[in-house]
Amino acid sequence: MASFTPYTYFQCPCTDTSTPTRNLGDEQPPETEENSDDERTFDPRAPRSNYSLYPLEHLFYCEDCHQIRCPRCVLDEIVTWYCPNCLFEVPSSTVKSEGNRCTRSCFQCPICVAPLSVSSLEAPPEGLGAELASQQNGPFVLNCAYCMWSSKETGIQFEKPNGIFAQLAKIKNGGEPILTAKDRRKDREERKRDFSGSSAAEESQENEAPINLDPNERLDPESQFSNLKAFYQTQMAESSPVSALGFTGDYGYGSPGALSRIMGLYTGGSYADKKSKTKSGTMREARDALEGLQIDPLSDEDAINKLRTEGWESTASAEQRHEQTTHTPFLSDLRPVAYLLRTKRSKRCKTCRHILSKPESKVQTTRFRIRLVALNYIPSIIIKPLQPILPTASPLLAPLNPVQFLLTFKNPLFDSVKVTLATPAKTPGRFPTKVTVLCPQFEVGANTDVWDEALRDNNTKSSLSGEKRRTKAEASEGQHQAEAGKVWERGRNWVSVVVEVVPPSLRIEDSEWLKSEEMKRDGGEVRDGEEVVEIPVFVRVEWEGEVGGEDSGLGGGGKDKEVREKRELAYWCVLGLGKVDVD
Amino acid sequence: MSSKRASTMPAPLKPPTSLASSLIIAEHASLTGTHLITLGSNTVVHPRARFNSTHAPITVGSNCIICERSSIGFQSEAAANERQGILIENGVVIEVGAVVEARTVGEGTIIEVQAKIGKGAVLGKHCKIGPLCEITEGEVVPDFTVVYGPGMRRLDRSGVEDLKMKMVARQIEVLKKLIPSNLAKFQ
Repeated sequence: MASFTPYTYFQCPCTDTSTPTRNLGDEQPPETEENSDDERTFDPRAPRSNYSLYPLEHLFYCEDCHQIRCPRCVLDEIVTWYCPNCLFEVPSSTVKSEGNRCTRSCFQCPICVAPLSVSSLEAPPEGLGAELASQQNGPFVLNCAYCMWSSKETGIQFEKPNGIFAQLAKIKNGGEPILTAKDRRKDREERKRDFSGSSAAEESQENEAPINLDPNERLDPESQFSNLKAFYQTQMAESSPVSALGFTGDYGYGSPGALSRIMGLYTGGSYADKKSKTKSGTMREARDALEGLQIDPLSDEDAINKLRTEGWESTASAEQRHEQTTHTPFLSDLRPVAYLLRTKRSKRCKTCRHILSKPESKVQTTRFRIRLVALNYIPSIIIKPLQPILPTASPLLAPLNPVQFLLTFKNPLFDSVKVTLATPAKTPGRFPTKVTVLCPQFEVGANTDVWDEALRDNNTKSSLSGEKRRTKAEASEGQHQAEAGKVWERGRNWVSVVVEVVPPSLRIEDSEWLKSEEMKRDGGEVRDGEEVVEIPVFVRVEWEGEVGGEDSGLGGGGKDKEVREKRELAYWCVLGLGKVDVD
Repeated sequence: MSSKRASTMPAPLKPPTSLASSLIIAEHASLTGTHLITLGSNTVVHPRARFNSTHAPITVGSNCIICERSSIGFQSEAAANERQGILIENGVVIEVGAVVEARTVGEGTIIEVQAKIGKGAVLGKHCKIGPLCEITEGEVVPDFTVVYGPGMRRLDRSGVEDLKMKMVARQIEVLKKLIPSNLAKFQ
C-alpha cells in the first residue's frame, strides 16, 4: 500500500453549501433536517466539498473583504501574451488577428514535443575565410535534436532561416506551395464575374488570371474551410439580404438586415416577412472544391494502401495527432507545431474588484507587483504524528485505537493571533472518527524578527501566557503524556497542540450497536476514499491588526499610530491524517 | 582533492593495445582487461572513460568520441557468439556515462548520455539511442533507428548522415586542441 502524506485543505467561503450535504454515493439526500447554517459541520466527503477545498498555497486573501479567496472566486485578467520559447511579448491585437501561436520561428517537434531548431542542409563553409562567410546558405530545415526528426522527412524546406511561420504557411507537406487565401479570393471573384455573364469579365479572366483552380483539386483543411465559409457567406447574402430576423451572420445594428428588422417591428412585421418568404429556398449547397466541397473516395483507398505498404510504423500516435490542428492519420501528414502562447495573468477579487495578484508585465521578470496570498495571512497547519512511527511499523492507522497527532500552527502575521479550534466529536460519514482537540484555544506569537525572541528570553524567563515552553529535552524525558488544555510546544511564531483521534473500524459486518446512523441506512461496501481519516476543523483566528491603510493614515498623522482594530477570520479546514487499516 | 595515497591494490594488468598514432587519449582514461584493445585513428577518448577487455577484445574505429565515465566492454563472461568482442565502427559518439556492451555499434551511431546497451546487442548504422534509453540484451536495432523517450522508436529518414559525420569530425578537431593526449602511457 502506498504511503500516506498528511495534508491540510482550507475551505474557501465562496462556495455556499446551503444545500444539504450528502454522503458518498447516496442516491437521495438524507431525510433528516439539518441544523441551522452556523451549526452544521462541514463534511469533507460531501460531493460538493471537493470543489471548495484547496491547499493553503492555492489561496489568496483579499485585504478589503478580509476573506480567503480561492481560484474559483477570483477574476483572471491577461496581462501579457508571450511565446514560451522565444519569450517575445505578443500584443493582444496580434493574438486576435493571428491566433494564439507564435508567429516567429518557434516550433515543436510533431513527433516528440521537443523544440525544433533551424539548420542548414549545406555543410558550413570550411577552410580559409570560413569566418568571413557571413551566413550559411539554404536550403534550411527544421530539425529536432532529441528524436532527430527533420522537416525534410515530410518534404518541407525553407529558403530563409528566419520567419519560418510565414514560410511554412505557404508549403504543403511534400513541398508543393499552398495557394494563399488571397489568391483564392481573387479566383472566387473572377468566377463570380464569370457567372454574371459579362463578356468583359470573361476576357479579363482569360488574360489576367495566372492561376486556374481545378474544381476537383485536393484541398488542405484551411483552404477548404475558407472556401466553404466564403461560399456560404455569399449564399446567405444572396438568398436573404434582408431576412426577417436580421440574422445574416452579422448581428451589428449597422447591417441592413437588422435595420429592416427594426423597421419590421414598427410596421407590424409584414414588410420584412413577405420578402423573406419569397426569397427562401434559393440557397444551394457547395458543388465542388472551389466552393469547399470535398468528396474524396480516393483518400480512404490511399490510406488503406499506405497502411498495407508501410504498416503501423507510418501512422501517427494519438498524442501526436492531438497536437495537430488538422486530421493527420500518418506520420507524413504531421506538421511542425507552432508554440502556443502563454499568458501572465492578474487576479481580482470577484466581490470587491481589488487586485489580489499582479505579475510584472515584462516577460523575463518573475516578480509580482501585488501578491496577496493566503500564506501571508493565515496560520499554516502542519500535521505530525506525536509518537514517531517506526520504519518497520505499518503506516496505516489501526482501527479503534487512539492515535495522537501534533498540529503545528505557524503565524505569518506581525501580530500575535488567538486561535480557536472546533471539531465535531464524531466526523460525519458512515465511518465516523472520534476527534478530541486537547487544547482548542491558544495564542500564537507574532512573526517578529528572529532576534526579538532571543533577546526577550534573556530578560524574562516566562513566556506569553505563563505556560512553560516545552523543550526538546523535557519532551524526551518521558513527559509524553499530552495534557488537556495545555499547549504541547511553543515557539516564536508557532504553537503545537495535540489532537487525539480514534479511527473507525471499516468492518461492514460489525454488530448493530457499533454502527453509526448512516451505516444503518446504507450498509454497502467500503467505498473509495472512505478509508482515509479526514477531520473537519473549524478554525477561528482573532487578532488586533493595524487599521486599513487609507482611513487611518490621513487623519491623525503620527499620533494615531496606535489605533488598532480587532480582526476575525473563521474558516473550515480539512486535515487528512492517515488511512485506516481495512481488515 | 584528498592527499595522494598509494593504492594497496596491485596495479591492474595493462591490456595489450593497438593504438593508432593519431589517437587522442587522455591520461586518466582507463584501459583494463586481458584481451586486445584496438583504438582507431582520430578517435578521442576523454578522461575517465573506461574500457574493460577482461572478457572479450574491444575494437574502436576511427573518428569516434568516447566521453567521460562511459564504460565499454562486457561486464560478464562472453557467450559463444560474443567471443569476437565489441566492434565499434567509425564515427560513433558515446556520450557521458553510457554503458556499452553491444557486439556491434554501427557507423555514425550516437549513444546519448547514460544510455545502456545490453550485452550482445547489435546496433545498426546511424542510429541514435536517446538519453537514459536502454537496449535489451541481444537485441538487433536496424539502421537509422532513433530510440527516444520511454522506449519510443522511429526510423530517421531525413538523410543527413553525411552532414552529421562532418559535424562529428569538426567536434573532434576542437577536442584535439582541448584534450592533451598521452598515447605512450597505454602502449
